[in-house]
Amino acid sequence: MERLVGLVLLAGELLLTCGAEMYRVEETIERMGLAAGFVQVEGFATPTGLFISLHAPNGRVYTRVRRIRQTYNKLSTIAEVNSISRAFSDGSMTIQEVHDELERLSKETAPESLGRQLIGGAGAMAFTMIFGGNWFEGIIAGMTGAMVLVLVSWLGRHPVPKVLQAATGGIFAAAVIMGLSRILAIHPDLTTLGAVMVMTPGVAMTTAIRDLLSGELLSGLSRSAEALSVTVAIATGVAIVLTLGGR
Amino acid sequence: MLVQALIGFIGATAFAYIYRVPTRQLPYAGIVGSLGHVIFLLMRDKWGEVGGVFLAATMVAFFSEVLARRRRQPVLVFLIPAVIPLVPGAKAYLTMLSFLQDDYTGALVSFISTVLLAGAVAAGIIIASSLFRIYSRAKHVRR
Repeated sequence: MERLVGLVLLAGELLLTCGAEMYRVEETIERMGLAAGFVQVEGFATPTGLFISLHAPNGRVYTRVRRIRQTYNKLSTIAEVNSISRAFSDGSMTIQEVHDELERLSKETAPESLGRQLIGGAGAMAFTMIFGGNWFEGIIAGMTGAMVLVLVSWLGRHPVPKVLQAATGGIFAAAVIMGLSRILAIHPDLTTLGAVMVMTPGVAMTTAIRDLLSGELLSGLSRSAEALSVTVAIATGVAIVLTLGGR
Repeated sequence: MLVQALIGFIGATAFAYIYRVPTRQLPYAGIVGSLGHVIFLLMRDKWGEVGGVFLAATMVAFFSEVLARRRRQPVLVFLIPAVIPLVPGAKAYLTMLSFLQDDYTGALVSFISTVLLAGAVAAGIIIASSLFRIYSRAKHVRR
């Protein structure tokens, strides 16, 4: 029983740290708990913490709390935990198999290869062009965006708050592009916009409103706070450079 | 338009890669994203920006739900990268930048349009996924 409680908790924790929606976390906990033989399962997920309470048939109640300290976006883990939990409730996966799979996923660290950041740069390029930049500006924004991603992921490995990471990224992107716009014929505003887009919390902003509209008030508010603080930080970084650069 | 469709595809695929979508699902996320961007561009002149984003988000959410069921993946895998080109992240950033540069009128204008656009995206997603939930529940009950 103790072991099953641990498994349910681990699955919930993996989902939360990888950026799943609250209802998915709660639904998965419920599905796995019922499949494991508990008679009543309560799960309560917030972006910063997870609470579960499992009622065993013999009347014992197991309650666990897990604090979630850092989150990042890793949709592949969400997809895998989702299919594991479904296979477990179908009965096509044993407890031992579920345990091994979840342990493997929790040890998997986020791979940060240079290729990943270069492809991220393509996102920055696409954004500059969506907002009306030409190919040349897109390529400059893409290269700067890739460098911003390298910088931010390097900062992310040290105990630097998210807000400070975003501000540093903003300063870096604006400085590089301001410098380049002195020698190259590029539109600095559009190009900076694309380069910083790789950091903007677009997902947090949409899920925040989505949570609020569907009645998940707690996670809606905390996600809007996250989105707001990161956006302010990026803009502050850019504004510092623009002010110092005399514009 | 073809160039814009390609840009939408590149953007959505690149963001799908940043968010670590399973590799085999990457092209599907890209196609849905490209579709959303094209629908937005087509409808923008007729319905205005907010209406265009609303329709595009609804269609993106609809196709993400269809794909999620077909390919047995969580909806998020397709939905998040595909709505990224529609989400007013850039507008939000411009709002903050205008505030910091003492341009309060410009900041308010882009603030209001940010809120409306984000609301349109969220409303589109909620409507499409609620319809899907009602539909799948109805199918479940009938069995």
